Amino acid sequence: MHDVVVVGAGCAGMRAAIEAFDTGADVGVVSKLHPTRSHSGAAEGGINAALGNRADDSPEQHAFDTVKGSDYIGDQDAIEILANEAPGDIYQLEHWGCVFSRDENGKLAQRPFGAAGSPRTVFSADITGHVLIHVLYEQLMKRMEQGPMTVHEEYFAWRLVVDHGRCVGVICWDLVSGGLKLVAGRSVVLATGGMGRIYRATTNAYACNGDGMAMALHAGLPLEDMEFMQFHPTTLYPSGVLITEGCRGEGGYLLNADGERFMARYAPNALELASRDVVSRSETTEIESGRGVLGSVLLDLRHLGAERILDRLPGSRELAMTFAGVDPIYAPIPVRPGAHYHMGGVDTGNWGETELEGLFAAGEVACVSVHGANRLGGNSLMETITFGRRAGQAAAEHALAASSPTPSLSVAPMADAERDLKTLLDRSEGERPWKIRDELGASMLENFGVFRQGPKMELQLGIIQGLRERYERVVVEDKGPVFNTDLTQALELGSMLDLAWVMVQAGVAREESRGAHSRPYDFPERDDERFLRHSLTRWKDGEPELDTKEVRMTRWQPEVRSY
Amino acid sequence: MQVALKIWRYDPIAGERALKEYEVSAPEEATLLDVLDIVKDQVDGSLAYRKSCRMMICGSCGMRMDGAAVLACKTRMYDVAQEGRVPVISAMGNLPVVKDLVVDMGPFWGKIRAVTPWLEPGYSDPGETEHVVSQERMDVIHKESLCIMCGCCVSECNSMEADPDFLGPAALAKGMRFVGDPRDQATVERLQSYSGEHGIWDCTRCYFCQERCPKGVDPRDAIAKLGAEAVSAGIDSDMGAKHAKWFVTSAKTTGWLRETELVPKTQGIAKSLKEVKFAMGLLRHGKVPPPFPPHVAKDVDEARALYDLVKEQGREGYEGIVQGEKALEQLELESESDGAGPRDPYGEGSFAVPYLPGENGDEEAE
Repeated sequence: MHDVVVVGAGCAGMRAAIEAFDTGADVGVVSKLHPTRSHSGAAEGGINAALGNRADDSPEQHAFDTVKGSDYIGDQDAIEILANEAPGDIYQLEHWGCVFSRDENGKLAQRPFGAAGSPRTVFSADITGHVLIHVLYEQLMKRMEQGPMTVHEEYFAWRLVVDHGRCVGVICWDLVSGGLKLVAGRSVVLATGGMGRIYRATTNAYACNGDGMAMALHAGLPLEDMEFMQFHPTTLYPSGVLITEGCRGEGGYLLNADGERFMARYAPNALELASRDVVSRSETTEIESGRGVLGSVLLDLRHLGAERILDRLPGSRELAMTFAGVDPIYAPIPVRPGAHYHMGGVDTGNWGETELEGLFAAGEVACVSVHGANRLGGNSLMETITFGRRAGQAAAEHALAASSPTPSLSVAPMADAERDLKTLLDRSEGERPWKIRDELGASMLENFGVFRQGPKMELQLGIIQGLRERYERVVVEDKGPVFNTDLTQALELGSMLDLAWVMVQAGVAREESRGAHSRPYDFPERDDERFLRHSLTRWKDGEPELDTKEVRMTRWQPEVRSY
Repeated sequence: MQVALKIWRYDPIAGERALKEYEVSAPEEATLLDVLDIVKDQVDGSLAYRKSCRMMICGSCGMRMDGAAVLACKTRMYDVAQEGRVPVISAMGNLPVVKDLVVDMGPFWGKIRAVTPWLEPGYSDPGETEHVVSQERMDVIHKESLCIMCGCCVSECNSMEADPDFLGPAALAKGMRFVGDPRDQATVERLQSYSGEHGIWDCTRCYFCQERCPKGVDPRDAIAKLGAEAVSAGIDSDMGAKHAKWFVTSAKTTGWLRETELVPKTQGIAKSLKEVKFAMGLLRHGKVPPPFPPHVAKDVDEARALYDLVKEQGREGYEGIVQGEKALEQLELESESDGAGPRDPYGEGSFAVPYLPGENGDEEAE
């Protein structure tokens, strides 16, 4: 039995594990991938902290930009915590050896990012997530040498174990050896990331299936703001991989088929550096009005010159050359909006705590909420570090508290899991999951994408029901115990089908346009009177039940949002 | 487009392996990873391989195509399909196969952990702000910090094939990432540790790691930099270091390589006595010039001027030249002992047969 079990080992999970260990806990990390394979490593552009190295900046300014970016449903106390604690967390990462880019004075360089009032994005060329995940894994390895820190690699977490109203562990499928394993702990931290794979066009890795959100939902916990999926404005055509916002931060232009910098018509002040929801909507409007190229718009970096591209954006160049055959030094890159980040997630407080005793959550799986209806670029990496640290500390303190008795572990949850798994594996006749997965991805993009409207969302609810019925008869072809990804992919699809239902249901109910939830045809305006609230969804008797919750405000009242 | 592949399958339960051919229809932009996905979805759900980001950053999908390590997600299949080639896909080398294209990365990470892979800070505590370090200083470890730990270099490492305990290109590049970091204060301890047995001087300089690295880390250059730093720091007791040093001393003093002295200078007097028989053979064939008086090249001044120039520029010539004496020795021993020679990475047509648990070098030695 561990003191703290951390589920997921991206930036949030590893940061939580490190903090829990440093607080004195015996830590077990469970991850379906080796930690450095986690999708945090694919983050490119940077991480926001008001260091003021390049221009005047302050945590207050950072907080205000974030509140405004959230379209006023980010919780302002949480946002202030993020903005205030970000600089200290960045310095700590630097002291651990993180390889950040430097300015001419040898201090941490900062670049402008969308909807930020000051250049506050700390970065490492365009591989910021990569350097973060490796520095965190270095610190994890150090602690693995020092003491009780165990990484259960390639364990696929499937179900939370709740005993007498308390979360006491997680049931996992051991990918390498096969079989279900119980990893028990006095506290559990969910840090499993997002679920971009619910859409066909996404920047997200194959691993991003919403596993943790589904586990929490099925354990009876509420999910918050699930209708808000961020579409990143610059994902590469055709593969969908991310081309960083740093390209625009360094001065790149967005052009339509006529060669026009069309953002001048949508965001005359911020232009390409308006917030992501605004830019994605503008691009979609251009493409739908017939001013696109290959169903995309063009990201033009040529005027930056070869030296700056090679120095600051080498990874984006490599991606464009490999996956689109385009060298951005000589030609513009075809880009389009793609599903990128889920603002919603498991409802948590400012220490990552949930309403279930012993369960904490941090990172994309959680909804604190610091991003509200639209996240600013560079804020999610910062959230993983700041709130990963807070959740790790709180989980350790909970586990080590004198009042925390050793939980009893009944055998029932494991027996249930074994039985359900056997039912799935014993089925030999039926449909394989991949068609259901592809149809879900295509239909979500079509009916619940950048723009939404009532009838299409209702249609999508019907499609999801049909897919769920087909999923009941799904067959896993691989029956073996060793590295059975056929099985885990089937389990992931089950999670995504439930979560898609939750998302669309919340979308139908939000009869307004706010942040990433845009309904230009039926509800084009923000409606603070009715909807300045979080949505909250619970799983009741096999279906999602919708409720709402108040937004926590400290000092900023809603204003008209323009860039 | 139609794409055909042959895949080395391995079923760990039955202990059977087989080369199976598949042909599927794929979009023109498809990568090797996309094609494997289509095979798994539409033909055989039991096919096992690792994947995640599909954008060359997570390092999950290292495998071999026609005997050479690649990242599946980076490898476009259009040209292969156009040429009508049927590439052979197999698991990475130098690591035991778990199932199909999945290898046990345990030994890989064990070696990473062996190089103390975290910053040992200490020179100055900057307090509540960052260390001030110029970008130029940080650029020293730019390439090493690009490493995604995919294992492609380790898969191709010839030295590791001879000595499974060789630290290898990935771990040593990770070591250089810290040796070259001005914020790290454990440089000397690191260089001593990496210069030990199975360390930097065991690299054979075959450059396969450098050629096959999908991220431009240039691990062989990292090893050379470590060698240079070690000799600079006076850590030169290894044969490899002595060998490299002697090359330079010899060229500086006489303008050419005095081979007669190379062996005792590198291996020591006692060990070189074993080579007497070989030396006598050379002598008989007129291959050994008389050692005294030393023959000095006509243009020795040029050699000395070059030496001075390099020294003045702060990059002493011998530094960075890493020899693979021990690994080579082991290769020779192995080929003598079993007659079959070391595994040929390009045997059986164009591909390497992945090795299975129980087939690695350790057990062969027993």
